[in-house]
Formats: sequence, C-alpha cells, structure tokens
Amino acid sequence: MSKITEVAELVEKGKAKLVGAAVQAALDDGCDPMQILNEGMIDTMSVVGEKFKNGEIFVPEMLVAARAMKKGVEVLKPHLATGSTGAQGKVIIATVAGDLHDIGKNLVAMMIESAGFEVLDLGVDVAAEKVIEAYRTNPDTKIICLSALLTTTMPALKDTVAALNAADFRSSVKVMVGGAPITQSFADEIGADGYSEDAASAAMLAKKLAAV
Amino acid sequence: MLTPKQNMLEVIRGGNPDRFVNQYEAVYLMFHPFMFASPLLQPGQENIKNAWGVTNTFPKGVPGAFPVHTPDKIVVQDIENWRDYVHAPSLKFTQDQWDMVKAQYDAVDGDQAFKAAFVAPGLFEQTHHLCEITNALMYYITDEDEMHDLIKYLTEWELELAEGICSNLHPDALFHHDDWGGLDSTFMSPAMFDEFLLEPYKEIYGYYHGHGVELVIHHSDSYAATLVPSMIEMGIDVWQGCMATNNIPELIRKYGGKISFMGGIENRAVDFEGWTDENCESVVRRICKECGNKYFIPCIAQGGPGSVYPGVYMSLANAIDKLNEEQYGIKAEESTRLPWQVLF
Repeated sequence: MSKITEVAELVEKGKAKLVGAAVQAALDDGCDPMQILNEGMIDTMSVVGEKFKNGEIFVPEMLVAARAMKKGVEVLKPHLATGSTGAQGKVIIATVAGDLHDIGKNLVAMMIESAGFEVLDLGVDVAAEKVIEAYRTNPDTKIICLSALLTTTMPALKDTVAALNAADFRSSVKVMVGGAPITQSFADEIGADGYSEDAASAAMLAKKLAAV
Repeated sequence: MLTPKQNMLEVIRGGNPDRFVNQYEAVYLMFHPFMFASPLLQPGQENIKNAWGVTNTFPKGVPGAFPVHTPDKIVVQDIENWRDYVHAPSLKFTQDQWDMVKAQYDAVDGDQAFKAAFVAPGLFEQTHHLCEITNALMYYITDEDEMHDLIKYLTEWELELAEGICSNLHPDALFHHDDWGGLDSTFMSPAMFDEFLLEPYKEIYGYYHGHGVELVIHHSDSYAATLVPSMIEMGIDVWQGCMATNNIPELIRKYGGKISFMGGIENRAVDFEGWTDENCESVVRRICKECGNKYFIPCIAQGGPGSVYPGVYMSLANAIDKLNEEQYGIKAEESTRLPWQVLF
C-alpha cells in the first residue's frame, strides 16, 4: 500500500490519532506534499461526502473523517506553500440571526474546508451586519454561506441575503443558502446564487461557484 | 361515536376507528415536579442554566429554547472525565409537590384522552446538550466506552424519574422526546443507534409499560424510517413527529399493527410567515388521503400541541374536523373531546 493510500484510508476511517504519523511517513518517503493533500485528503473527503450523500455513512463518520484530515493538514502545512490548504479561496459561513442550530452549518463548514477552502465560521445567531462586516474585513472572500433551520428564521435568511444583495461588493461574492426548510425555489426567490440540500453537495457547489 | 381516546385506540390497534384522530386531541400532555425544578425559559430569555448545568437561550419567534454551546458553556469539557462535569439533579420531591401535579392529572377526563407524562430531553439529546452536538456525535465513535457509561448514567436517572412518575401520578401514556435525525437522514447509522440506545430505551420504556403506561409515544420530528424496527423493539407504540420524508404509507404497510405513526404534517409545509387556512387544508387532505386512518394520526410534526405561528395548529384541527365530517359524517360539535390543549 502506498503511503498516500495509507493517509487516505486513515482519513476516511477518521483515525485522527494515527493520521499525523502517516502523513509524516509519506513525507519521509519523498511524497509530494501537494499530492498528499490532494490525493490523500481532499479527494478522500470527496469520497466521504459522496458516501454521506448516498446514506452509506452518517454524520459521526463524516465528522471524524474531517477531524482526521485537519490533524493531517497540521503536519503537512509546514511543507506546503503558503495558502495551499485554502487554495480554493475563502468562505464565510454563518447561521442567521435568531437561529441557534449549528450542526448543519458545522458539517457544511467542515466539508467545504476539506474541499480546499479556507473557512471563516461566524457561528450561530449572526446578524446581517456582522456578515457584511466580516466580508469587509475579508474582501478576498469568494462565497458567503448562510444557514437557517427554522421556518421562523427563513425571514432572517431572506433579510440577510437582501442586505448582501444591496451591498456594493455583491458582484464580487457568491451567496449560498441551506437548511431544512430551505428549497431551491426559496433560494431563487430571495436572490441567492446557490442552494444545496446537504453538506457534500454544498462542497461541490462551492467549488463550482468559486470557479465562475 | 367513539370517544377521542377510544378512536385513537382503534387506530393504533387497526380496529374500527370511526374517523381520523385529530392531532393531539386524545393525548393530554401532563407535567411532573422535575419540570418545575429546572427553569422553563420564556421567549426572549438568554443564557439560563438548567438543572443539569446546560445553558439555554430562547430567542423570540422560534419554537423553543436551545442549548448555547460557546466553548465556555459546554458542560463536558473532557469526555474522558465526564463524571467530573455531569451531575444529575435530584429527583427527591415532597409529597406535596407530587400531589400538586397529581391534582392536575385528576382534573383531566381519562375517558376522553390519555394522560401522558411529558419527558424531555431524551438520552441522545441529553448527550449532545451536555457535550455539544458535534463533539457528542464524534464521541460516539472516538470515546465509545465513555458514551456508553454516560448513557447508562442518564438512563439510571430517567428510570428514577419513571419510578416517581408511575408511582405518584399513574399516567396511562408517556410522551417522550428524543430527536434522532434531520429532515432526510438519521444522525447515526441504525447499527450505532442500536449499539448505544436500544437497550437503554428498552429498559426505560419497559419500565413504563410494566407500571401502568398503556401507550409509549415517542417524539422525533425527523427522518427515522430506518430506526422503526428498533423503535418497535424498544416498546414504542406511537412515533410522533414522523415526517412525510419517511414515506409514511410505506411504513404503515410494513409496520402497521406493531407501531403507529403520528405526524405527516411538517411545520415547514404549513407553519411559516404568511401561512394560510387553504394551505393547511390542502396539506391535511393530501396526507390523510395517502395514509388513511389505520395506524396513522394526522398531526403537526412538532413535539407538542401548538405551532410556531399562532393559529396554524387550530387551522389544521379545523381541516381535519372538516374532513371527518365529509368522509365519515361525524360533526366536530358532536365530539366529546376535551377543550383543545395548546401549549406552544
């Protein structure tokens, strides 16, 4: 088994305590750090995301895989050119005002990060002004992801997207939305650029939107 | 005409119900002293610690309170030493405290509705309230032994609560919360679910069944179709909160007679800004047509009578009454049901 395959297997199985040593072994073996990152980790997380989407694995398995990748990246980072781990670009993510649900948002953040983005997580119950302020502080952000889990916070999602749509920087950033009560038609109606129904699809959509 | 309670039993037993059960009309949710021993938040209240040390906030305009899990507010700071952080609150109540609640039980006409002891949160929810949900879900893989021990500790507490409830209040039903999934998936695999939660719930629900509780109604407003065999094994009689995403007609075909399904009306389909009577009626008609009135009770998915937007719950109730008159010739005014209980 190649060293990179070994890293990939440990990431997929979520073996956070073992993955660091496997990454180091791959480096010692002369493997290209970018290849370890892309083939051993990012591609593996795509497989994990696909399995989650197909119902082959569940939230805990996805979480431990993402955490294992994070551990591996810590070992790999000094060997990579600056910015390589977030090469796809920067993403701001938040659950909207009045909504304290964080599991869906956390999963999306992990999958997007695992797809090669740098993620700035603003947390839950985040006001529109705070999202705008975060973008102004991070004008290189490519995508803003917003989540709402309740029918009662759908208006807050609508208001936040409206505030972003009115901002002078809107043409420079894409807006993605999601959450249990959200649908593609609602996303279209409020003027978001994208909607996805699960974390794995969100990572794929983010890649697509960032490439535009 | 059957009483609401008799009609519900006919629905559950696959007998001869004479109409649709109208949501919670035959299940009266009742309190117990512990509910008054841990602060019940009002909308707008923030960062209030409950008896377990879990901090909760209840933003205005949302269905209920929610745990706050900023790093400083997570109860279990180290799962390997969870015993240092988790301290079960006392369940020692005076006879006066039990009697006060018993008087509320006695005031409900038990011929019309089940008197259902309300217990929440359940074991899984409590683990993520204490640990934070992302942490908790990972611990189920990374710290299996600790999670088994934590769940055992929570189960023992729940059994002590069950003993107090059954011996002092004598309910004939239990309404027990524990959300096990999201809109279209369970949080964990059925195998993991069985490994951690099946036996503890068999013990808890077995206790209630063995001490006068005829119906165990479990609330999980989620997808959980793949967990139904485990629910049956646990002793759940009615799964409340069953969302339409579970393909309820198929569940009825597969499991009717072993368990019944109460739900099919997801809040997101009816309970939103700008809701209308027409939409409520259309959702009611669709689900009732799809599922029929055996092993199925049309009901808003949320875990208690009411709705997020005032008026939605009663709009659904009116739509079901209308359908019962059209389909079964039974007029709502002839029903002996108790006054509507609207808690949310």
